[in-house]
Amino acid sequence: MRAAKVNYAKEFDYILLLAALALVALGILLIYSGSLPSYGSASSVIEHPVARQIAFAMVGVAAMFGVSRVDYRLWGYAAKWLFVAALASLLFVLVIGQAVYGSRRWIELAGTPVQPSEMAKLLVVIVLAKYLADRQERMGSASVFVTSLVIALVPTALVFAEPDLGSAIILIAIWLAIVIMAGARATHVLGLIGSAAVAAPFALIAVMSNYQRERIATFLDPGKDPLGSGFNTLQAQISIGSGRLFGKGLTHGTQTQLDYLRTQTTDYIFSVLGEELGFVGVVILFALFIVLLMRCLQTAASSRDPFGRLLATGICTYILFQVFINVGVNIRLVPVTGIPLPFISQGGSSLLTLFIALGILESVRMHRGPPEW
Amino acid sequence: MDLLGRKERRWRSPKEKEERSDKQVLRDKFFYFRLLILIVFGVMTLQLLRLQIFQGQAYELRAETNSLRVSPVTPARGIIFDRNGTPLVENIPEFSAGVVPADFPKDREADLSRQLEALLQVPAADITAKVDVARASKDPFTPVIIKEGISSDEAFALRERESSIPGAQVIVTPIRHYTTGDVLSHILGYVGQVTADQYPDLATKGYQMNDRVGQTGIESVYESVLRGQPGSNDVEVDASGREMQTLKENPATPGAGLVLSLDLDLQKHVTDFVQQAMSDSGSTTACAIVMDVHTGEILSMVSLPNYDNNIFTNITQQQYQSLLDDPGKPLLNHCISSVYPPGSTFKQITGTGALQEGVANPGTTITSTGSITVPNEYDPSIVYVFKDWSALGTMNFYQGVAQSSDVYFYELAGGYYQNGVELFHGMGADALARYARAYGLGATSGIDLPDEAAGTIPDPDWKKSQIGEDWTIGDTYNMAIGQGFVEATPLQMVRVTAAVANGGDVLVPRIVRSVVDSTGKSLFPFVPNIASHLPISPDNLAIFREGMRQAVAWGTASTAAVPGVEVAGKTGTAEYGPDLGGGTYASHAWFTGFAPANDPQVAAVVFLDNGNGAKNAAPLGGQILNYYFHRNNGQ
Repeated sequence: MRAAKVNYAKEFDYILLLAALALVALGILLIYSGSLPSYGSASSVIEHPVARQIAFAMVGVAAMFGVSRVDYRLWGYAAKWLFVAALASLLFVLVIGQAVYGSRRWIELAGTPVQPSEMAKLLVVIVLAKYLADRQERMGSASVFVTSLVIALVPTALVFAEPDLGSAIILIAIWLAIVIMAGARATHVLGLIGSAAVAAPFALIAVMSNYQRERIATFLDPGKDPLGSGFNTLQAQISIGSGRLFGKGLTHGTQTQLDYLRTQTTDYIFSVLGEELGFVGVVILFALFIVLLMRCLQTAASSRDPFGRLLATGICTYILFQVFINVGVNIRLVPVTGIPLPFISQGGSSLLTLFIALGILESVRMHRGPPEW
Repeated sequence: MDLLGRKERRWRSPKEKEERSDKQVLRDKFFYFRLLILIVFGVMTLQLLRLQIFQGQAYELRAETNSLRVSPVTPARGIIFDRNGTPLVENIPEFSAGVVPADFPKDREADLSRQLEALLQVPAADITAKVDVARASKDPFTPVIIKEGISSDEAFALRERESSIPGAQVIVTPIRHYTTGDVLSHILGYVGQVTADQYPDLATKGYQMNDRVGQTGIESVYESVLRGQPGSNDVEVDASGREMQTLKENPATPGAGLVLSLDLDLQKHVTDFVQQAMSDSGSTTACAIVMDVHTGEILSMVSLPNYDNNIFTNITQQQYQSLLDDPGKPLLNHCISSVYPPGSTFKQITGTGALQEGVANPGTTITSTGSITVPNEYDPSIVYVFKDWSALGTMNFYQGVAQSSDVYFYELAGGYYQNGVELFHGMGADALARYARAYGLGATSGIDLPDEAAGTIPDPDWKKSQIGEDWTIGDTYNMAIGQGFVEATPLQMVRVTAAVANGGDVLVPRIVRSVVDSTGKSLFPFVPNIASHLPISPDNLAIFREGMRQAVAWGTASTAAVPGVEVAGKTGTAEYGPDLGGGTYASHAWFTGFAPANDPQVAAVVFLDNGNGAKNAAPLGGQILNYYFHRNNGQ
């Protein structure tokens, strides 16, 4: 079969890219402001978090273009190896990773800290999409359903052990979205959700570390120990609330600039936005995310093959839940768990993964026809 | 039924179903996914509306209080000057060694603590312990005091090492240094840290736990003037308490200064004179006061033994205990806080009262045979003998005063009876007590110093209620010569003399002459305050002044004479305590007088707790007046 020639320039989703770039730009402004207390305005340009973020964004955009040219179906064929790579990297970080704030999430790679769970989430999306796309005829079978669950649970268990509760939740959400989109039986899904809901409290007590339990307790009552574990939650809330409608102005947030916020360029960067740019800034951020996510779904819906559709759905779920959990922690809708805010938070692992994910989305969009080879 | 309410048993329609239905199911799924996205962002937006719009104001306030710390600024305490403008106290820095825990590196702690130990002789283990506790606290940027009151040499040495011992600091706090030390300790008092008892009350006036407050003397009475208005700095602090910038300065207003009526030069000399007289007479305590008879200004007030008020900056329990145990009670200002029988100096009241009551005039003659006898009212076989100090013969009023005849004054007060017949009519105890109170005795004078004693002026009612016995004529006789139940402070007695001297104004004595601002401009000048005017005519007071002039000119107080200035005075030898055998008692020595006799300017009182008025007190009084009048012409 002759492959249809793809007009990359015409098919490329520029709106998706522009939304992503706008988010990155907003993120860089916030990282600049958030890093003032620790870096000041005049320090080594190369070392500065803003410079690093710009560099990662440029590499990311390049990767996005590169990946978009590759037919996404290629990743499907490599699914088995990608799965092995994902599990290996997660195991690796558990064994030799560096503990930061009580959990092992980072490994040092060529002098740069790398967070494998970010890339692992994307890999799991590919593996699940491929597995279920290949079994469209047997979606009613319990064995397919259970196998897909196992595929998701193994990496989930590994990130949970780090412990990284947020990423574990996101992996489960990805699986759920893909499995529903793929056409799993309602009885299977509802039965699983029901039994999980019953088992959850016991499982939480049994499996969760003290650190996680403390975070849940803090979430329920941050005022209990305002200077201890409740400090971050409370200060994030104060930061965001005090921003009011228009915010205090970029670099003028007292909470941010006086170090009341912790990890204000990563997990709590949303609080910087809330404090310095106010409700208006938040609405702009949300609008950009909605545009981005709607474009993702547009790609998923327009895909003619199940793999592309499930892939795009998984990526969309990944970004959506990543945003929800990060913002939810900042505004006290979900318990404290460290998840970067997509495109905004400082950090190369997350940014690179996201741009590669967008590259795959573009590829799904551009390679709607039959395979080129 | 599937989740979306369709009849298919699976979300993915089976192959045999139509293509169209398959697409419809997918479209619905994407519809619901889009809805999910909007719901997620909708929920988050609602929560943000709540936080930022509805509760925004409250959070804004919390953010402000979060980062705002109000740090108090202690005002410079007012300076106290003598009447000639000589500063009596200065605010000097006291050095303490401190460590900022947050800047003191944990890994080098042991080594750095040893360096500090070598410098300050504080055990390294103590330093480490203190720093560790503070480092774990919420406020690791507030320095921990390692040693208080280090010498300036130690402070210099520490300051040189500040760069090599990170976190080490010389902390400077202002303290009071009294340039005159013990010479003015009773007047100036001292400041000390707010005590636990004082704190609840002072806290309402804006004092902090670590503030220093006047504890006694002028420092205490004029606390509100000297303290000034504390200021505050609104300081922005970061989350760890480090001060970032000062947002607003409300500067402190320095305390106002005080100019005392006291004359430092006179005070020093009077102290020396009293010290000498004390050792000559074998006294444990002694007082001297010099007062302006027209204004009530205290020119000198000496109470011995005294103490160095500078030691109260960092007083040890041992030092404090030894001051308390000293038999001379150095912490007490005996001039105003101790009461003694005034002895014959009380005759000022008896004499002027008798003149005013008409029981005496300059020509009234009374004969002293050396004693007066009074039979017991119920058992005439018991006879009480009231002695004079000598058989002085027949005297008129001036002679009675000049020779300080006890018999003369017994009769003025109590009259004289023989076999129930009144041979001489006295003024009576009630009248005498009334005059004594008119002179301000039995009550505090209102001087601007703390802990003033009121003394005692008895009368028949007082005796009945306090002792439970009836008043006898003997009580009147004793009262007439300032013995028995009569007790007065030296300050009260000089006030009596001033009233006699100035023609009847009972003055409120004052230590502070004016309140001045930092440029020396007078804010509140001293206005002489007359408590009352004596119910005694100027003529009668003049008669008594003549008696006192003669006492110095040829009588009992002649040892108080000063060349070139005519002094008028009255001695007193007040017996006290138990009978030492043969009717002799230990005695206090008094002298009170004024000069010049014809144009009184100053009054002086001296008191020695052991001695004789004529022998010990009058010469000391003379010496003080001599110095006062002649210090500027080299005599």
